[in-house]
Amino acid sequence: MRRQETKIVRNVARKLFPVLVLFAFYLIIYGHISPGGGFQGGVVLGSSLILLYLSEGPERVEKKFKNSQLAILEAIGVLTFVGIGFLGIILGKHFLGNFLPIGRVGMVPSAGLVLLLNLFIGTKVGAGISLIFYALMKFDRRAQGE
Amino acid sequence: MIEGLRESRVSDKIALTLFLIGLYGLIAKKNLIKKVMGLNILTSGIVLFFISLGYEKGLTAPIMEKGITDVVDPLPQALMLTTIVIGVCITALALSLIVRIYRRYSSLDVKILTGEGDE
Amino acid sequence: MSLKSVIRYILVLLLLVVLAVAMFVGMDFGKEYHRRKVSDYYIARGVKDTGAINLVTAIYLNYRAYDTLGEATVLFVAVLGVMYLLSYEKTRDENS
Repeated sequence: MRRQETKIVRNVARKLFPVLVLFAFYLIIYGHISPGGGFQGGVVLGSSLILLYLSEGPERVEKKFKNSQLAILEAIGVLTFVGIGFLGIILGKHFLGNFLPIGRVGMVPSAGLVLLLNLFIGTKVGAGISLIFYALMKFDRRAQGE
Repeated sequence: MIEGLRESRVSDKIALTLFLIGLYGLIAKKNLIKKVMGLNILTSGIVLFFISLGYEKGLTAPIMEKGITDVVDPLPQALMLTTIVIGVCITALALSLIVRIYRRYSSLDVKILTGEGDE
Repeated sequence: MSLKSVIRYILVLLLLVVLAVAMFVGMDFGKEYHRRKVSDYYIARGVKDTGAINLVTAIYLNYRAYDTLGEATVLFVAVLGVMYLLSYEKTRDENS
């Protein structure tokens, strides 16, 4: 399996990676104003990591974005979601009830709980898709190296 | 059936055709990976059908900016978001199982795997 | 191709034809446009209740947030399953 792509592909991917991450965060944060949301932004986040992996090669990317760090990010995403839900119960309403103020409609810091939940869902989905890809690539490398 | 063919919309016909193609791939193909692909096509057909349930000519996307009142039905879209994610999960797990099956039995043919052998 | 496989293909195609006929006959393709009462409520009161202009986000993160939690859990379990199934250990796989 080819480890690294050519210099052209690598340079283009390096320039594209921050733009993709920015676009993913735009989709997540503006999820309640324009089309998008947590899941869509999370998938773009995972795809940006896959692009970097495919162009740079396994060694450098797995040293920078470690498997254990991604697993911790994913667990944080789910646990914070459940934690916010229980916070809703503690503060008087039902599970996952809205306890933040609604604010001015149309601005980013509005709509109560929606922005926070979008953020954590986005990190969870991005980390999950990257972890699935890491598992597939590691299996392929180990199975070929025997 | 002729009334159903005449009165249904194009999106309904396309969605049902996708469903039938995916079902055919799931049942009739012997290769395991082709079966998974058929499952994906089936899911796409169902998602398209449900989303097109809320559409009519002249309505716009459900982003309620100032002055927009006639919007598409947003409920099936929210449900299909979950459906798409679960389709991805099913595909990932099915493909990992297929990788393990191939390592163990060295074959991807359903007839060989279920012991019917060559006919 | 043997006779058995030909009969199987014919049966599969017959099943698909029966399903197609059942779908086009049994569905209620009415001329008017149905909309659920719940969707009317979401469209009328969504922005006032939640403050989110995007109605789809308002539905799946406010009115139906529990389903989103279930979906996040399914994704979590799927990632766990893939990581377990693809953890290749040399000593275990050779002696099956």
